[in-house]
Amino acid sequence: MRYRSQQVAYWYFAVAMLLFGLQIVFGLLSATKYLGPDPLLYVLPFDVTKVIHTNLLVVWVLTGFMGATYWMVPDESRTELYSVRLAYWQLALWAVMGVATIIGYLFRYGTGNKLLEQPLPSKLTVVVVMLMFLYNVGMTIRKAGRFTTSEGVLLIGLGMAAVLYLPALLEFENYTVAIFYRWWTIHLWVEGVWEMIQGGFLAYLLIRLSGADREVMEKWLYVIVGLVFIAGILGTAHHYYWVGVPHYWLPIGGFFSALEPVALIGMAMYAYGAIRRTGLAHPNTLALHWTIGSAVFTLFGAGVLGLAHTWPSVNKWTHGTLITAMHGHAAFFGAYAMIVMAMITYALPAMTPDRREEGSSLGYWAFWLQIGGMFGMTLSFATAGIGQVYLERILGLGYLDTQLKIQVHFLMLLATGGIFALGVGAFIWDFFRYRPRFEVIEESAVRAGAPAGAALTGASRIRAV
Amino acid sequence: MNKRQSRLFAVVSTALAAVAFLGMTVDSHRQFDALTNAKNITPAVAHGKDVWHKYNCVNCHTLFGEGAYYAPDLTKIAQHRGEAYLHAYMQDPSKFYDETRHRRLMPKQNLAENEITDLIAFLDWVSKVDNQGWPPRPILVTGASIPGTDLTTEQQATKAEQGGSQPPGARPVGSGQDPIALGQSLFRSVAPACAACHSVAPGVNMAGPSLAGVATRAQQHIGTPDYKGQAKDAAGYIRESIEHPSAYVVPGAMYSANGQSFMPATYAKELNSEQIDQLVAYLATLK
Repeated sequence: MRYRSQQVAYWYFAVAMLLFGLQIVFGLLSATKYLGPDPLLYVLPFDVTKVIHTNLLVVWVLTGFMGATYWMVPDESRTELYSVRLAYWQLALWAVMGVATIIGYLFRYGTGNKLLEQPLPSKLTVVVVMLMFLYNVGMTIRKAGRFTTSEGVLLIGLGMAAVLYLPALLEFENYTVAIFYRWWTIHLWVEGVWEMIQGGFLAYLLIRLSGADREVMEKWLYVIVGLVFIAGILGTAHHYYWVGVPHYWLPIGGFFSALEPVALIGMAMYAYGAIRRTGLAHPNTLALHWTIGSAVFTLFGAGVLGLAHTWPSVNKWTHGTLITAMHGHAAFFGAYAMIVMAMITYALPAMTPDRREEGSSLGYWAFWLQIGGMFGMTLSFATAGIGQVYLERILGLGYLDTQLKIQVHFLMLLATGGIFALGVGAFIWDFFRYRPRFEVIEESAVRAGAPAGAALTGASRIRAV
Repeated sequence: MNKRQSRLFAVVSTALAAVAFLGMTVDSHRQFDALTNAKNITPAVAHGKDVWHKYNCVNCHTLFGEGAYYAPDLTKIAQHRGEAYLHAYMQDPSKFYDETRHRRLMPKQNLAENEITDLIAFLDWVSKVDNQGWPPRPILVTGASIPGTDLTTEQQATKAEQGGSQPPGARPVGSGQDPIALGQSLFRSVAPACAACHSVAPGVNMAGPSLAGVATRAQQHIGTPDYKGQAKDAAGYIRESIEHPSAYVVPGAMYSANGQSFMPATYAKELNSEQIDQLVAYLATLK
């Protein structure tokens, strides 16, 4: 840790970890209900566990984004944060809002609008928190007067994420119009500005971990951002096909959705190229696993599996089936859960000095169990979804009868979900088992953008302390 | 390409995509009213949408294919099920489906009467939105029969041994002159489709009872004191059931309430007498 104020990141990460654990509990609970009958039908029905599962995902990933930003910005701008106190107040407000919203869902206090279920007071709190956050980060950079491209891409991503949340505050009488603008938030988040955020973190990590040349990395980061937005903005159309919009959204959606993997292929090549060119010299190989893993799993989950069902004549049959759940799980995990875990794994040894820089074997178990578990879950959803499309949509069997015929895939889902949960448990345990000690390291020991060989090693860190 | 050019690429491509997107958004707004029949969004429909949100329906069901995948899509449900059925269903879903059989059940929502009525109005509005003809074929809630296997192979074998004819689903539909074949085709193609609620496979009771063996049962019903209708023979009974569904109702809370059948009473008006003849001819073969 080079700046004392970077320690706020630890507490953001800690909150994110707790919420991540809770998200998986509700995920497993929801998966179990697919096997039924449900003894909790009148206590905790599916709609409640599912809403908590998805909302916790968004909350913990955003908590992770914020923590990772508070870690990265001092490093990039070479300064202390503008206000540590503001950062802690922001976290407190955010955590209280998150927990209160989740408790509210248990009592059915929500808007019932998919993924935007947060009641108005929560939504307004989100806006306030985002403003506090952007103000704090913005002032930090202004104070430092040093603004890197990776940081810029990250910040524009975060700022746009806040702006695109605003349509979520509007009410529309026409359900079709409401759907239309709901996707401005959801789609343009996950297939637009969140990818910028991911790209910003990815560039930061690759520069630090592989010692790749900053100029080259940042040049390609711009290209990736351009590709993300060419395809991402007009790719929104693939959510519009069947909801009551003019016909031209279909060909537009098909064409630009097909382009979406291009940016993700670019991102994976970018990450792989960075390590190939420079060699793996940074001792934190676990963080490198998560970083490269994120780029590759994004290509698989968001790119390939997204493309598998966004072409209109395919989507006509697969729309609204478990095929969507297949894509959703793999995409969110690869792009956002993994990049947050990459940032955590990178930053953690500096904040918990008892930890080995290169990662513990438990850390590797966490990585591989999560990767394996999520891959299995994706396959379970895929096989269930293909079965569902064939039996229900093509042969015309009833929904309920089809679900009975694909039970075996739900068993597989639960088993692989269990493996994934073990991986998450290992990650969380590994996170908390070392006490945090926030020691500032001399500037000379770490030099940003230095060749890989000069990167911080465990030994040099101890000397520096 | 240097860094300045790559930044220019990012900015220009984002701007172009955004301009195109906003342009289509403006144009879509010009068309939304016509595509969605916005003039039909009455206060009841608007309130029904609030009910849909209030009870978090979208986190089990889908509408326009959007939502969760734990319960059936409801985009066209108002066209597949009459208002009376939906009303009775939402009062108590457990009367309609068995959790031990389907392994999941919709919890009773304790909706107020006006909430149910308005929710149905909303679902009716949804079912009429011009959404590029999705779904491409009806998504049914229940119905376990795969086309062409209306009888199991075992049942078909038994029938063949006894010198029986081909099962209804395996019979060729060919001659344009054959009223039975035409009736069978009408069975799947009239609106609402008979096949959306009735299976011709034995024991498969969907929203309506299975019609396997309906001709034989019709003959038996006519003779019983419970039967108050006008029919004198099986064909007459079937015709009466199509034209006046409430004349004789099959017992069961999922089929009728207060002596009124949930089956739409629209066929007498919607179909011409020739079409009804063909349907009767087809159904009378289901012995």
